Amino acid sequence: MKKTLLLTIVTTLLFGISCTKKDVSNERTLNLTVSSKVKGMDPIYSNDRYSSNEVARVFEGLLEYHYLKRPYTLVPNLAEDMPTVSKDGLTYTFKIKKGVLFHDDPAFPNGKGRELVADDFVYSIKRLADPKLQGLGWWLLDGKIKGLNEWRSKYAELDAVDYNEEVDGLKATDRYTLEFKLTKPFPQFLYSLAMPFTFAVAKEVVTKYGQELLNHPVGTGPFILPRFEQSNKITYTRNKNFREKKYPCEASEELKVKGLLEDCGKKLPLVDKIVVNILIEDQPRWLNFQKGKVDFVAVPKDNFDTAIPDAKNLSPEFKAKGFELLISPSLDVTYTAFNHDLELFKKNKALRQAMSLAFNINDANKLFYNNTALPAQSVIPPGIAGYIENFESPYRGTGKAADLAKAKELLAKAGYPNGKGLPEITYDCPASTVSRQIGEYFRKQMAQIGVNIKVIQNPWPELQKKITNRTVQTYGIAWGADYPDAENFLQLLYGPNRAPGANGSGYDNAEFNRLFKTASVMQNSPERTALYEKLYRIAAEEVPWIYGVHRQSYTLKHAWLKNFVSTDFEAGRASYLNVDLKQKAEAKKKL
Amino acid sequence: MEVVKEQKSKNLWQHAWGTLLSDKFAVTSMAIVTIYFLVAIFSSLGFIAADWTKEIGPSYAPPSADYIFGLDIFGRSVLAKTLKGTEVAMSVGLVTGIISMIIGVTLGGIAGYFGGKIDEVIVWFYTTFNSIPYIMLLVAITFILGKGILAVYLALGLTSWVNLCRLIRGEVIRHKDREYVQAAAAIGGGDFRKLFLHILPNVMHIVIINFSLQFQTAIKSEVILSYLGLGVQGQPSWGTMINDAKLELARGNWWQLAAATLAMFIVVLAFNTLGDALRDALDPKLKGK
Repeated sequence: MKKTLLLTIVTTLLFGISCTKKDVSNERTLNLTVSSKVKGMDPIYSNDRYSSNEVARVFEGLLEYHYLKRPYTLVPNLAEDMPTVSKDGLTYTFKIKKGVLFHDDPAFPNGKGRELVADDFVYSIKRLADPKLQGLGWWLLDGKIKGLNEWRSKYAELDAVDYNEEVDGLKATDRYTLEFKLTKPFPQFLYSLAMPFTFAVAKEVVTKYGQELLNHPVGTGPFILPRFEQSNKITYTRNKNFREKKYPCEASEELKVKGLLEDCGKKLPLVDKIVVNILIEDQPRWLNFQKGKVDFVAVPKDNFDTAIPDAKNLSPEFKAKGFELLISPSLDVTYTAFNHDLELFKKNKALRQAMSLAFNINDANKLFYNNTALPAQSVIPPGIAGYIENFESPYRGTGKAADLAKAKELLAKAGYPNGKGLPEITYDCPASTVSRQIGEYFRKQMAQIGVNIKVIQNPWPELQKKITNRTVQTYGIAWGADYPDAENFLQLLYGPNRAPGANGSGYDNAEFNRLFKTASVMQNSPERTALYEKLYRIAAEEVPWIYGVHRQSYTLKHAWLKNFVSTDFEAGRASYLNVDLKQKAEAKKKL
Repeated sequence: MEVVKEQKSKNLWQHAWGTLLSDKFAVTSMAIVTIYFLVAIFSSLGFIAADWTKEIGPSYAPPSADYIFGLDIFGRSVLAKTLKGTEVAMSVGLVTGIISMIIGVTLGGIAGYFGGKIDEVIVWFYTTFNSIPYIMLLVAITFILGKGILAVYLALGLTSWVNLCRLIRGEVIRHKDREYVQAAAAIGGGDFRKLFLHILPNVMHIVIINFSLQFQTAIKSEVILSYLGLGVQGQPSWGTMINDAKLELARGNWWQLAAATLAMFIVVLAFNTLGDALRDALDPKLKGK
């Protein structure tokens, strides 16, 4: 009896497997990975790179970056054209594309997605400002749209938020016209409309799913995800009703090569399906890539020497397998932030400087970035105005004996000679092995001057929560640019942006705030760059964080993946990518 | 074992000791366990492996005459880390064993001895408790205490007493109506005296056997927890070493993995062998077989 039972189970299993193994050779599937758990699919909560990239597959915004133009250039996405701007630079008028449909979903009458209208943007941006929802991107628009702050604070105390109340600076003047009025000139405003925070959601969908929107994304985007689950795989399918959007036919000079224009004029998206594998650890990602199960991958530090022996070219063995290497600097900065809510750090600049000096960035670069990164002197990465070439911060630890001596001196000045009297300081980091190793390295470096560090590992969403709730002392994290402007980095240290805003460390310096406030409303000009540079110097001198590095990305891709370019703004990239199925079938034989 | 005062019991222990010593495997295991304990004690006192944080050579130096087990990413001695990891492992084993012993023996004894409603409540309690996986409890505890070795002690200790409790309860039920207990009652011994001074020494062998097996389970659990990043923080543990190694293997660095697994393998094997030998020596039912 037992045996038969077992046999039936086995046959069903086999049968089940053979059933699921459909012939999928004609389906173009993009296989991607993400190195962290994804929080959810609600645009207003997508404040990390991982979730915002996912959000941008389903939702869209008014603007986006031109896929093949560098320096980064904004182009209309859901907007018909770039906006008309009034002479005083305060009123932006957008025309919205007609005939754009939301995904089909039971939230709409008859389950058919309705047309996108200007009101949807009014609604979505109000949602970002909704005091009850505590959207994590509010810092982006805080104080910038006329009447929106008043609307927000008015409803912070009331029980229910009224979205019908008109906000002066955020209006749909007709079905397809959207008008923004700003409180002051805000040159980065257009960038914020290319960020997932401001992407369009439909009111019906929010009404139906409420908080569950996190798991039921319904947008206008090129891909559909009926339900998001906290599993290790997210599978998107192509949106069949996607509007006529074409692959671009022009590119910057440096991107005209490499066959990037072959798909010129083709209707997007180019693939039928995206499978995103959540692989937190490096090695599974790397092995999956080598087996051809993932289309591209960042080279893990432990495989760097075998893959790229001279730090420039791919090893012959990998070349033979058809892998291609892309190297590009990223607009980012890694750092260890102090929690400035704590008197310990807030009041004690010397302590911060001492800790920064004790941290040997050169060794960290060797251990964790294969010596390919650029040690950061301050908050702005190279490649955007405000970065000062060859500037060396006096508080940048480089492992020299003199640095350590100075660190000890400063520590004594801070009131803790050789760390005496200093409590144990916690350091929170994400849960992966490399993050822990960085934490251990930090601990080791601090031990040199007698500062005791305790490393605590957290799952990524929990770390974010801890930072937002201010229950950290120090933590290791990185910031990637949301838009190519130094303002995006400097605002991380702007006092009024404190968490839940982007300023997770809670750093608050009157002088810095004043200068930032001035610079943030200026148009791109030499004067603004001068101010940015001043802020850069203050941020170096004040050591609100211990700066890490500006990274370079080393990406390996399979030759069958077409149209792939490195970018700092990945949101929306997937719709441009293509897969050459024939090439893939052949290449996979060799793997 | 100072509760054992009667002449008769002493003979039992002496007898058991003799049996144990005549078993070569048991003696070897005991020696190994003793060595591990000594290492743990010395390292906690700072005599050995105190400088495990020190950088003594280049990053990832392979094993050689200078560096017996090679070096890790920061150029720290893997040997020193392994020894320091012993301290964590042994302390987790010991504390967990003690916690589970205290709870298990007390509750098991009370349930078995008093029976009735008390028994029902305790049985209900431990069956409920037994359904909590230790990782869940650990996560809950870390919310209160923060991550660290204390949380590991508590989580493992609080989830591992149920087996012992069951055994003790059953054994006490068997013993509580025996003549020697009735004799104790006849000369005026109270419940407490009967239970803890008369019955307990007679079921002590179960506690000892269980303790030695509990010990190695706790060590293994600690390694798993630390591997997952839920265990000890900022201190070397065999689990974190294996976690490091999973990346290093891609570079062909096997020594950290080897050192940690070897250390764990030996001590777990020793405890298992010892547990079996103790059972042979102490369980009256296995006598002469």
